[in-house]
Amino acid sequence: MYCYLYDEFIQENKRYERELLKIENRLTDLGIAGKITRLALFRNAEEMIRDEIERGVTTVVVLGNDETIRKVIDVVAESDVVLGLIPIGPKNELARMMGIPEGVAACDVLSARRIETVDVGTVNGRKFVTGVTVPNFRAELNCEDRFRITPTARYADLEIRNLTGVTNPCDGMFEAIIRAAVKTGWWIFGSEKLRESVLPMRSLAIRSEKPISLFVDGEEMIATRFDIGIEPMMLKVITGKARVF
Amino acid sequence: MFKDKKPAMPSPSSAETIIAQGVKVEGDFSADGDVVIDGEVSGSVATEKFLRIGETAMIKADVKAHSAVIAGEVQGNILAGEMIELLATSCVKGDITTKRISIAEGAQVNGKITMDGSSTERKKNEE
Repeated sequence: MYCYLYDEFIQENKRYERELLKIENRLTDLGIAGKITRLALFRNAEEMIRDEIERGVTTVVVLGNDETIRKVIDVVAESDVVLGLIPIGPKNELARMMGIPEGVAACDVLSARRIETVDVGTVNGRKFVTGVTVPNFRAELNCEDRFRITPTARYADLEIRNLTGVTNPCDGMFEAIIRAAVKTGWWIFGSEKLRESVLPMRSLAIRSEKPISLFVDGEEMIATRFDIGIEPMMLKVITGKARVF
Repeated sequence: MFKDKKPAMPSPSSAETIIAQGVKVEGDFSADGDVVIDGEVSGSVATEKFLRIGETAMIKADVKAHSAVIAGEVQGNILAGEMIELLATSCVKGDITTKRISIAEGAQVNGKITMDGSSTERKKNEE
């Protein structure tokens, strides 16, 4: 049983009306039409999905973009349901990685039901699929309580990757990437070059005296401490042939 | 003729863990795969596979690996189960225990080198 979750911006924007009509017709043709649930300002997306799962929904299809997926990822990953995507509008990086084309073409991918189970990362209990970025990283990383990493360069970025083109999202690990700007050459003739450290791991903690900004799948979180982990093979998702992993 | 040929040092191109310049690691660092270190490490370093210590690396730690290529500075004991290669820019202050060793002209070693395979085994048993 399918449940289709329409994001608010799709309903408000007239230019998606025709596309939505085509999608609904195609889903009916393919015999996978289901209940439509619409997100709204004062409606809690997680509660809506939880109710639908209790009613027997086995596949939750999100019509929207990465932000829409972030609204439901916690509840979908914890339940034994399959996540489907119909990307509409901008910021659809996750759908691209899953190999799902935009708009009505995604209906055929949904119908084929090529299901992959992927790892899900967690930041302070909140789940993420693609990764985490920390621009201008100056804090300390405590890795699996065994060793600590600190950037010594004037400028460094931190990136945690779970699902990207170069990582395997099914190995039970994520990659921590630290890009440090290191000065090479002599005096004023020198230049700064980015040096990339790569560390595969299962858990790490970020500790900072001052609050730092961290972007989880594009959404900002601000705190002085972050505990990052991985939950292996947690999310079942429908993918296309063009997926990156 | 070819039977006596020893296997070549594995390539670091497939390194899974990289500690680059601009990063400092403190504590007991261990990895399952190949490791490349160009930054600073203090504590201990251990890998079951290949380890490359670059020219810019500064290691103040005991090092344990299957095989290792060293081009930077190491202050600590090195145990390489299979082979160790010291390049011309390397500087080691500590004891080295390995089965095979290659030392380039210009490399500095201040410590004892033990190449008796049985002593390596004995050390492992003692642990």
